[in-house]
Amino acid sequence: MSTTSEPGRQQAAEADILEELKAELAHDLEEERPPHAGPLAQVGAGLVTLALGVAGTVLALGYGLGTLTQPGPGLWPFAVSVAVTALSMAQIAFGRDGQDTEKFTRSSALTALGVLSLVALAALLPVIGFEVPSLVLMVVWLRFLGGESWRMTAVISVLTVAAFYALFVVALSIPLPRLV
Amino acid sequence: MTILVGYLDTPEGRAALDVGIAEAALRDQPLVVVNSPRRGAAVDEDMLAPEQVSEIVDLAADRGVRVEVRQPLHGDSLADTLDAVVREVDATLVVIGLRHRSPVGKLILGSTAQKILLDAAVPVLAVKAAG
Amino acid sequence: MDFTPIIDGFGIVLQPTNLLYCLVGVLIGMLIGVLPGLGPAATIAILLPLTYGIEPVSAIIMLAGIFYGAQYGGTITSVLLRLPGEASSVVTVFDGFAMAKQGRAGAALGIAAIGSFIGGTISIIGLSVLAPVVAGYALDFGPPEYAALGLLGVLLVATVGNGGKLKAVIAAALGLLIATVGRDTFTGAERFTFGNLNLADGIDFVPIAMGLFGLGEILYNLEENHKKVHAPAKVARVWPTRQDLRESKGAIARGSGIGFGLGVLPGGGAVLSSLVAYAVEKRRAKQPERFGRGAIEGVAAPESANNAAATSSFIPLLTLGIPANATMALMFGALLIQGVQPGPQLVDQHPDIFWGVINSMYIGNILLLIMSIPMVGIFVRILRVRPAILAPITALITMLGVYTVNNSVFDIYLVIVFGIVGYLMKKFGFDPGPMVLAFVLGTLIESSSRQSLLIFGGDPTGFVTRPISGTIFAAILLVALFPLLRKAFRMRRGDKQPEPAPERLPERETTEAK
Repeated sequence: MSTTSEPGRQQAAEADILEELKAELAHDLEEERPPHAGPLAQVGAGLVTLALGVAGTVLALGYGLGTLTQPGPGLWPFAVSVAVTALSMAQIAFGRDGQDTEKFTRSSALTALGVLSLVALAALLPVIGFEVPSLVLMVVWLRFLGGESWRMTAVISVLTVAAFYALFVVALSIPLPRLV
Repeated sequence: MTILVGYLDTPEGRAALDVGIAEAALRDQPLVVVNSPRRGAAVDEDMLAPEQVSEIVDLAADRGVRVEVRQPLHGDSLADTLDAVVREVDATLVVIGLRHRSPVGKLILGSTAQKILLDAAVPVLAVKAAG
Repeated sequence: MDFTPIIDGFGIVLQPTNLLYCLVGVLIGMLIGVLPGLGPAATIAILLPLTYGIEPVSAIIMLAGIFYGAQYGGTITSVLLRLPGEASSVVTVFDGFAMAKQGRAGAALGIAAIGSFIGGTISIIGLSVLAPVVAGYALDFGPPEYAALGLLGVLLVATVGNGGKLKAVIAAALGLLIATVGRDTFTGAERFTFGNLNLADGIDFVPIAMGLFGLGEILYNLEENHKKVHAPAKVARVWPTRQDLRESKGAIARGSGIGFGLGVLPGGGAVLSSLVAYAVEKRRAKQPERFGRGAIEGVAAPESANNAAATSSFIPLLTLGIPANATMALMFGALLIQGVQPGPQLVDQHPDIFWGVINSMYIGNILLLIMSIPMVGIFVRILRVRPAILAPITALITMLGVYTVNNSVFDIYLVIVFGIVGYLMKKFGFDPGPMVLAFVLGTLIESSSRQSLLIFGGDPTGFVTRPISGTIFAAILLVALFPLLRKAFRMRRGDKQPEPAPERLPERETTEAK
């Protein structure tokens, strides 16, 4: 769970009900979440945003800062990118001990598979229409990501795609690319 | 060596539980009651509330039978989950309840009972509800 | 005060179509409030494309209904199953579930419904009175004031919101950066487009919101297959007794006040106000030990507060054009989609939208009160639907929905990319809320600060010498430095207590409420 078990919480000098409440809540949820990912993930996250900040700074300089009387297109992105860079450094320096990250678990592979099926849908949609890719998406998510039985999968997939067809094509006549 | 009962809060389930308790008393073996809700949804009507679990424990205790209630989640095959428990607790007998189903009902939902009867590694005692 | 537009507003709401949209919105809101997983922000994001085809007034009425309907829906599962469906009902679990165990679930749900209704209604009255005044006042605001207000809004949402503060501010800053993608409106220069024509006009709000809130949420939930299963709950008698009502009268009144006040503040909103309302009741109580053991005030206060806050958070949006929280940022986007610019001119230029939306909330709250109690059984039944079945359906709505906005496959890819970003942000402890909010306000902040610089002739001290923008900048400084000051103060006292911070509050808005 995210941010609870900071040491010293128990010996809080003043009994602040609001804080107690939050701690209790956080503790309550602790068991339901995967373990936190540790300092490496914290630093890694900081490095990614740092890279974005630095890239933004460099690109913004290229767009031209202008002057304060005549601000160039790069001035505002430059200011924001510098802020991102500075904050990311602070995150790398002080954020190591945060516990608000989550480990990737074996079920994270489900998410990856889900993303792949979405990309496939986007790629196939303009080529063969929305019906077949939608049906495939439903089957993949129900059967392989959701662990539903084949029978359940078949019934729900077909019904859902039919409902979408009825809604988008027949009722709203929205120009979705389609097979028939 | 245990007796295993597949339990739901239905007339068939209660019939199976009664027979299971009787068998356990007869054979002098502990009883394992499996109440397995479907994985996924936040609420499953097959799931027993804690009060119902303690009722089962009391019921068995009245007959001098030691009982453990397990509530493992099952995926799309209840039979597989039950089978795993059978192996784990080294059951000598499985007791399940049977109910009458229309042919259409069987077609749509399959028959867990049939799968258990055919696949189980140990003898299965199928019980019908009273009446 | 001229009452004609208010009365006309009722006329608009009472049109059958608008009544229907109000009902649909409230129903969807209660539904997703009951279901853990999808929050109101994600739902509104996913439904954005569908609002294109509807009249602006109807669209906003429906979306508003989703927002405040969800506040009540979340209560039902908090009370019956100790499973908060919505972030703002998290504190309700303590006493709500304790009451349910004592067989008083009905009383808890009933008092929550009554408290929600009263809190909501008081808040709407406050909104009706206050909003035109604020809007009138804000008409004098110039670019420097807007630059300052926008910045304060982003900062407050980032620091008061959920998750780690530092990370939230980083997310907000990145949101500001994403807002600069595309052609610069002042000079016409292209920024961060990398020669891609699809990016030249900037990134649309819809794919960003749908990706970060909608798809990100769906992808995140795919992993969560290890949730507890609950036995079905029984609700016997759904009416609070006269004594229940007497005991919770004060709590409802105070909760409504707290909710109204905190809802107006950027970053405040429903979640914080429910927590504060609960804490206030506990502190006031003669026997605080009753709390957590079925004290009815512990249900009445937070539930009144969260509905009041959900309503009053419309004030900054409708009067200043500054969204106070992530959901309001979505409303802002929805209004823009409809070609309506929220801001102080709204009340004069689009009185139909302004008063239509406000007055629809009276109707919506009455609908909530009428429906909530008899339909508790139905809503509890919905929990039996497995998320694995809902996930692909919502994913498909998202994919096809975003395509229909511009008939563009590029937008689908954009949603997928932001979906992945949203998922990763959740995994690494970044709240997507501040990012979306900053993205929405980014253009406003940039253009008004550049205009201000032109007005001041390049002298940035102009921001602080104007009285209003100066005050706002002082507030910004205070917000930015407050945590540091507090820490320093504590250290000097040798007090070991860690910086308290709402960050301890897990981001219940969305997924964790399993």
